[in-house]
Amino acid sequence: MAQVTTTTYEPVAPVRRSRSLPTAGSLQWLVWLVVVGLILGPFIPLVYASIRDRPLYEAGGAFTAGAYRDLLSDTAFWHAALHTLEYAALTTTLSVVAGGAIAILVARTDLPWRKALGRLTLLPLLLPSLGIVLGWIVVWGPGGYLSSLVHTHLHLGTLDINTIPGMSVIEATRLLPVAYMTCEAALARADSSLEDAARSAGSSPIRVLRSITIPMLRPALLNSGTLIFTLSIASLGIPLLLGTQHNIQFLSTYLYLQWTNGATPDSPLVSAGAMLLLLVATLLLLLRNRMLGAEARYISVAGKAGRTAMLSLRMWRWPLAIVVALYIVFSTLVPVIGLALMSFVAFLTPLIAPWHLFTWSNWHILGSGIYLRSIEHSALLALIGGLVTTALVALATLVAHRSKLPTRKSLPFVMLYPRAIPGLIIGIGFFWAYLLTGAPGSWLRQGIWGILLAFCIRNLPFAYVVMYPTMARIGEELDRAGRSVGAGWWRTCRSIVLPLLKPALFASFVLMFVEILNDYDPALFLVRPGTEVIGTTMLDTFLQGIVGPVASLAMVQVGVTVIVLAIGTLVLKVRVTGGHDA
Amino acid sequence: MPEIHVDSLVKQFGEQRALDDVSFDVAEGELFTLLGPSGCGKSTTLMSIAGFQTPEEGRIEVGGDVFYDAARRVSVPAERRNLGIVFQSYAVWPHMTVFDNLAFPLRVRKTKRAAIRPRVVEVLDLVEMGPYIDRYPHQLSGGQQQRVALARALVYSPSVLLLDEPFSNLDAKLRERARAWVKELQGRLGLTTVFVTHDQDEALSMSDRVAVMSQGEVQQIGTPEEIYRRPTSRFVAEFVGNVNLLTGEVAATERGRIALEIAGGRKLWIDSERAQQPRAQVTVAVRPEALRLEAAETSTLNGSNTLDATVRSVAFLGDHYQYELETGDLSLTAQTPRAVFAERVKVHIPADACAIVE
Repeated sequence: MAQVTTTTYEPVAPVRRSRSLPTAGSLQWLVWLVVVGLILGPFIPLVYASIRDRPLYEAGGAFTAGAYRDLLSDTAFWHAALHTLEYAALTTTLSVVAGGAIAILVARTDLPWRKALGRLTLLPLLLPSLGIVLGWIVVWGPGGYLSSLVHTHLHLGTLDINTIPGMSVIEATRLLPVAYMTCEAALARADSSLEDAARSAGSSPIRVLRSITIPMLRPALLNSGTLIFTLSIASLGIPLLLGTQHNIQFLSTYLYLQWTNGATPDSPLVSAGAMLLLLVATLLLLLRNRMLGAEARYISVAGKAGRTAMLSLRMWRWPLAIVVALYIVFSTLVPVIGLALMSFVAFLTPLIAPWHLFTWSNWHILGSGIYLRSIEHSALLALIGGLVTTALVALATLVAHRSKLPTRKSLPFVMLYPRAIPGLIIGIGFFWAYLLTGAPGSWLRQGIWGILLAFCIRNLPFAYVVMYPTMARIGEELDRAGRSVGAGWWRTCRSIVLPLLKPALFASFVLMFVEILNDYDPALFLVRPGTEVIGTTMLDTFLQGIVGPVASLAMVQVGVTVIVLAIGTLVLKVRVTGGHDA
Repeated sequence: MPEIHVDSLVKQFGEQRALDDVSFDVAEGELFTLLGPSGCGKSTTLMSIAGFQTPEEGRIEVGGDVFYDAARRVSVPAERRNLGIVFQSYAVWPHMTVFDNLAFPLRVRKTKRAAIRPRVVEVLDLVEMGPYIDRYPHQLSGGQQQRVALARALVYSPSVLLLDEPFSNLDAKLRERARAWVKELQGRLGLTTVFVTHDQDEALSMSDRVAVMSQGEVQQIGTPEEIYRRPTSRFVAEFVGNVNLLTGEVAATERGRIALEIAGGRKLWIDSERAQQPRAQVTVAVRPEALRLEAAETSTLNGSNTLDATVRSVAFLGDHYQYELETGDLSLTAQTPRAVFAERVKVHIPADACAIVE
């Protein structure tokens, strides 16, 4: 202690700065402008297009509310709206009830294999949704492999997936993980001593579940329910593949078919419909934000939740585990196996053993023409989109949470906004935006980069939601320390905050890669011959009645997704599912 | 040169006045402490000097450089103030080794590569952390991290050192050693230092001068002895240690002293430089250990300022005994180094131990 050390306590040279460098403030403004402009910008032409009397590419025209009048007086629109409402309500109920139940089983009971079952429940989030739907059709559709098998051998009917309840079941399996994740996270956060207290006060386990656990979950259920409702209103894939062939129209398909088959393509009517859908989605988002605020009173600040006490299921342990396992098998595994099988046979039927129908042709065909082109495009977009979005969102997150920019508080809301917006609206919005921005717009429209931009914006909320929690855990004193020793804002971000954010950056890239690879609905409005991506090609080919190559394309998506996720979790040690309860 | 002038800082957080006309000067080489309960504005003041908070009004000048001046709309960014700060959490960057933590400020200053290592080694030796140069922060104890944080704040020889509750995360034993050590280092380097704490022992034992703050206002500035023995307000008297507060009416005035009529019509003489209006209400503060206490039977205490009292309770506190006394309808707390075994006692209140408070 008393050791005397001599030091030359003389000032080191002061911080030198070159005046020519742009200041931190202008960089922050630039990031804010780019993010807000790219996300909200495309809605301006959409509004404009909806109040003109003719498509924007035609000369002349005047302002009118005619498109809205036409839309609201079209009985087909009202039928579609009713179908959508029924579909969304059913989907939401199914996925919230089942997702909440699985979350309670995993987080609060002694269910066997609960950890593994919980992880597998999340799979549909990351697998390509379009591919899984095709898998369902192949297996359970009319004349599908298992539905025919059950029909011929057991003389039983299976659920007809071409009806609204049938479609809701498929949609629910796709969206159930959203409810599961939100509830599971809420249960993990909540102190289980609240439940222990009820037990020691004399309540039976069932009573505890009813009086404590489920009421505590209410905000999570409402919150995820609203998100699922929004997402199912916006869903295009399932309605398009299953509904249109049986003349069940939904808002999304109504707008899409008006767009592609209408007498005047790209009519103001579609823009008006998109505007209405955007309005509903925005209102639901605002509602959700209010509920999140109200959630605060449910958060128990009891500090460390010790080891969670497990509710004993006794004799129900194995039966319930088997039910959950069967759900995973039938919702995820069977469609994937169906797809895999389909990709190796000329046609799939229970009447002839598959090995008699074996063929490589569905895979061979991927090596040429539109199929090869789509795969190349998707891979390129996923790679570049993953990098670009991660970089942009990292900057925007820094500005939102680590700067003094006066407008920074708007960024989190803006960055989460695309999550609530139907993909088709983003597609239409960007279509008009490219059309109205002259040379740069038309360059984007001609190539795949226009699709890239739409995909990036659509999926950017996931990147933000992955990054934000990590950013919030990096203590603010760490960057203040950087500033105090003389580093400017950008230097502090680069040397201190970004290196600490590295795991989240990797996770964001992996997630963005997978999401962009499997995305399709914004592209339906932007794609043109020569700029196809896997999703649009699958949809087009399937609607033409060709199934084999679609199955092999879907398998390519599944395969790449699984490999990328495996590399992500094993090598980079990232947790990528974090983003989906956004 | 590095004197600090803080002049009339005002800052509002919504309805709450976080800083209300805060002013003080710190002399070169002085260790100046801002003491107060949480939310009193001490950290806001420190962070205003550091540049992480911007007051709405006032002026901050360090060593002739104006860092902040509301009237002239001057606000130098934090990174150009060249101050050394040790944060409450230490804020040692977890992804950098001890060496890199110390080298970073030098790299920011574009110090020549060859000059960085010798300087880092030199400063690490100063804080006796030389052997840990290649460790990562998670491999260090709290006390060691604190030394690294201090070394990082010193490595570029800043003009002023700011310490934001640097000892609050250390356990009691270590804290005491760290205090002595930091004080010694500060004195040896002659560093002008502003120190923020809510711990009165820390403030009294380390500081050259202390500013006691409450609700955004500076209550009193003085040496630790002044703050402890001659508090000028109730708040300061009560915040800095235990205190007896006695209220009475001025009954007589003499040169250099006055008599107060306290509960029960008894007279209490107190030293007072200031003349007081007759019949004015006056409150005085007197520390428990300043009271003299003897068993009534054997007591030699007599004359003025001596009261008869009953012992209500006694507590043994290791190095002293604490008594709760009752005399008439007056309660007093007294401390003695040795035990007084009696129920009936005599208490003497020395006239020079009483400080008039507002």
